[in-house]
Amino acid sequence: MSNHDTTAPILSARGLHHSFGQTEALRGVDLDVHPGEVLAVMGPSGSGKSTLLHCLAGVLVPDGGSVTHCPAGRAPLEISALGEPKRARLRLTDFGFVFQFGQLLPELTAVDNVSIPLLLAGTRRPEALRRSTDLLDRLGLDGMGAKLPGELSGGQAQRVAVARALVTSPAVLFADEPTGSLDSLASENVLTLMLELVREAGTTVVMITHDARTAAYADREVIVRDGAIGAGYRVSA
Amino acid sequence: MNPGLLKLAVVGSRSAYGRLAGIAGGVAVGVCLLLLLWGGANGLSARDDRGAWLRETGSPSVSVPRAAGDPSGSGPATPVPLGSDTALMETNPAEVFRDQLISRRDFAALASTTVKIPGIGTPPEPGQYYASPALQRLIESTPRDELGDRFGTFAGTIDDAALPGPDSLIVVTGATEAELRQSGGAALVSDFTTNPYGGSAAPYNTVLSIGAIAVFFPVLLLISIVTGLGAAQSRERFATLRLIGASPQVVSRIAAAETAVPSLIGAVLGVGLALLLRPAVAQIPVNGTRMFAADLTTGWAAAAAVVAVVVAASALVAARRTARAGIGPLGVTRAVHEKTPTMWRSVPLLAGLASMTTAIAVTRTPHLRSPLLEMPLLIGGFALILVGIVVVGPWLTRLVSRLGLRQARSAAAVIAASRIQRNPVAAFRSVSGLVVAVFVVSVFAGASSIIESTEAPPTTPGLLQPTSLHATVDAGHTPAQMSEAVRHAKEMRGIRSATVGYGPAALSDRDASPEIYLRAADAPALGFQDIPATEIVTVDTSFLYFWTTQPRALTPVPAANLDGMVPVVIVLGTDGTPEAMDRARTLLNSSGVTAHPATTSPMDTGLQSPTRLIQGLAVLSYLGMFVAIAIAGLSLAVATASAVLDRKRVLGLMRLMGMPVSVLRRIITREAAVPLLTVLLLSVGLGFLVAWLMVTGINDTYRMTWPAPDYFTALGLSLLLALGAVTATFSLIRANTAIAATRFE
Repeated sequence: MSNHDTTAPILSARGLHHSFGQTEALRGVDLDVHPGEVLAVMGPSGSGKSTLLHCLAGVLVPDGGSVTHCPAGRAPLEISALGEPKRARLRLTDFGFVFQFGQLLPELTAVDNVSIPLLLAGTRRPEALRRSTDLLDRLGLDGMGAKLPGELSGGQAQRVAVARALVTSPAVLFADEPTGSLDSLASENVLTLMLELVREAGTTVVMITHDARTAAYADREVIVRDGAIGAGYRVSA
Repeated sequence: MNPGLLKLAVVGSRSAYGRLAGIAGGVAVGVCLLLLLWGGANGLSARDDRGAWLRETGSPSVSVPRAAGDPSGSGPATPVPLGSDTALMETNPAEVFRDQLISRRDFAALASTTVKIPGIGTPPEPGQYYASPALQRLIESTPRDELGDRFGTFAGTIDDAALPGPDSLIVVTGATEAELRQSGGAALVSDFTTNPYGGSAAPYNTVLSIGAIAVFFPVLLLISIVTGLGAAQSRERFATLRLIGASPQVVSRIAAAETAVPSLIGAVLGVGLALLLRPAVAQIPVNGTRMFAADLTTGWAAAAAVVAVVVAASALVAARRTARAGIGPLGVTRAVHEKTPTMWRSVPLLAGLASMTTAIAVTRTPHLRSPLLEMPLLIGGFALILVGIVVVGPWLTRLVSRLGLRQARSAAAVIAASRIQRNPVAAFRSVSGLVVAVFVVSVFAGASSIIESTEAPPTTPGLLQPTSLHATVDAGHTPAQMSEAVRHAKEMRGIRSATVGYGPAALSDRDASPEIYLRAADAPALGFQDIPATEIVTVDTSFLYFWTTQPRALTPVPAANLDGMVPVVIVLGTDGTPEAMDRARTLLNSSGVTAHPATTSPMDTGLQSPTRLIQGLAVLSYLGMFVAIAIAGLSLAVATASAVLDRKRVLGLMRLMGMPVSVLRRIITREAAVPLLTVLLLSVGLGFLVAWLMVTGINDTYRMTWPAPDYFTALGLSLLLALGAVTATFSLIRANTAIAATRFE
């Protein structure tokens, strides 16, 4: 068990409510995410996991409640009170994202895909390409930078997506079923490499998964049921 | 195929309605334009057919027997007598009002004549005239001394069946046999030709065919682009159908059906739209006259054929695209990579240029000249160049995007250049319509620039002044008529001088002199500067002809007066205003002293020159150009929208990760701008080259100059349209890449 509980949370959600039409997806969720921890969010389909992740990441603005981001050395920021341009900037600079499907631009080479967030943040292209290549190398993709996504295996493409999410050194990495489309061997490989990098950098991870084996890599897991956090936090072994 | 499944596939979601509406709307516009253009082509042909009788030249009205004992000589001309089955007809070469050419035919016939003039019937009595309705309106709205006095008494209007269009200016006047025989230019006619083109059919058909290809091509491109709308979304739905057990063949059939249904709806709408717009389109003047609405009819069989071909072609293409995409239960199983374009793509373009160049070489080689060879080479060459631009575009676009990717510094530049480099064919397709339109515009602008260079003759001493009119004097005039004409002319507003030239006999006489005798005092009025210090001077008769380009000098004559000479020509100098020119024309035509009823000025001859054909076609072409540019703009908007819709998931995820909408806008703009600008310069250059090849192919004396300002307006309009088309899709970017939209994809 880690000692994350004793530090100030990097993300703090209080009383989150969100509905899609008549359907209540979140019903008063309270959740703290601590710096450097790997949090697995589990739950059945339709329980509100993705909505919770999107509210935490500033993708969605909750109908009620608040999400506060407390980056190291900076003043706390209430994400849910920001407009879309500022939330977009925050997502670009402080957060990284990995999805299950369709996240790589098919016409860009692996290294160009990874470099896009750096270019968006204003890094010069030669520097962006150098850092992207380094990161790909560390993820076991040395020599694959010039390949197109269509020329990579599922596991390799997912590692490129992980590299793209981590290349800006985000404070928090949001991963929505990051290995959902992979076989168990590839899943293990991707998770191991991803967690190795995030632990080394001290990056916080919020990871949605259905898979107990994936959740086992987390420091802590929470279960979402019917739009609420299940009975207490369950801490992994 | 199960109808329920088909219905679900075609209109299974709300977004499907938008796609279907897009396809139906685009096809409707395309089919409407196609039918109107087809109708226009038919209309031009019908118009020419109705006006064919004006090309009738008849047979000689005099016979010239061989001289006895001298096989190479000829005896005196004797008139061929008029019969009841013939009429004397004189074609006035240049009856002009302002800058419009009036087709005038003077007839003399026996009372018992059986000759029927198209649109009139029996020839008019001497002193009477029949006019087309447009000319009669013009006569009634203009002072008589500028126009009406030329023709006599109004007897009736010419029937529409003998008029090319409602704006045609045609007059048929009645004269006595003696009047027409005096000029020596009348011919005998018994019936009228129905061949509208005569000897110039080949170049006319060549230019017309090239124009038709140029205008139809962008329409076909538009139809092709709209039927591919939302192809990526369709692939996702087809993957779902494959997952639940549909075979690839079933999915292909569904793809065919879901494109065929909106295409059919759109095509039928297009037919209705064309019917509705026909009267409005007929109001557009083409080659100087509007069309009768009925001229634009294509017939139901043609409309049905267009509908059938468009629906069948779009369905087949959709089925083939789907089959080639390799859609499996888990989505597209094989990445549809475009074949990398290579330099081989330049072959059709080079072949087209070679074909047109060969045509020109053939034109300039007298022993090889043949319309059977020149026409296919010119038309085929033009078609190949048009196709060649579309074929070579992706290769050039790829070359430029590779260069651009190396230099790219921003995320938008990297993403746009990468996409173009990987999909140059798709990227270029979106701007191909505009590129083709610019090419077409450049061809027509180049071709019509020769008009600009020939229609403003300079004022040169020693040549007939552009603002003066002349007429040869009839041998049978009376001195009183002559002095009356001169006196009357000098009194008229805008006429500055009336100069009479003399000779030993009338210019039409066998004893006519090759020189015209003038009083030296009259010479300055004709624009001469170096005037010999004698009473009488002469100048070569070629001074009167518009094709004379070398100034003629005056020669002194050692005579004190013009005794024994007869007036042979009268030249009226005007202030150059259209009213004065028309007053002068009317005066000369109605004076009774001129051998030919018409008078010409160097400016009028421009109206009759062969370049008029090109000018007329240029007007038609500019019309086509605006249609082409409008279609191209529409195509670009559709293609850009399609490019956004096809990538909505991935672009949405980019936004989710923090990419601002402004970056997405820059990506879309670059994706349109790079291929457009890459091939635009090529299009402009090729357009002018082809124009030069075309006009010199028709007549190697033509010279091209800078295009008219309309051209630059059209180019600017094209770029504005491109900008408008791209910015119109910006709202689509925001809506379709919204995070909420992506979440539930």
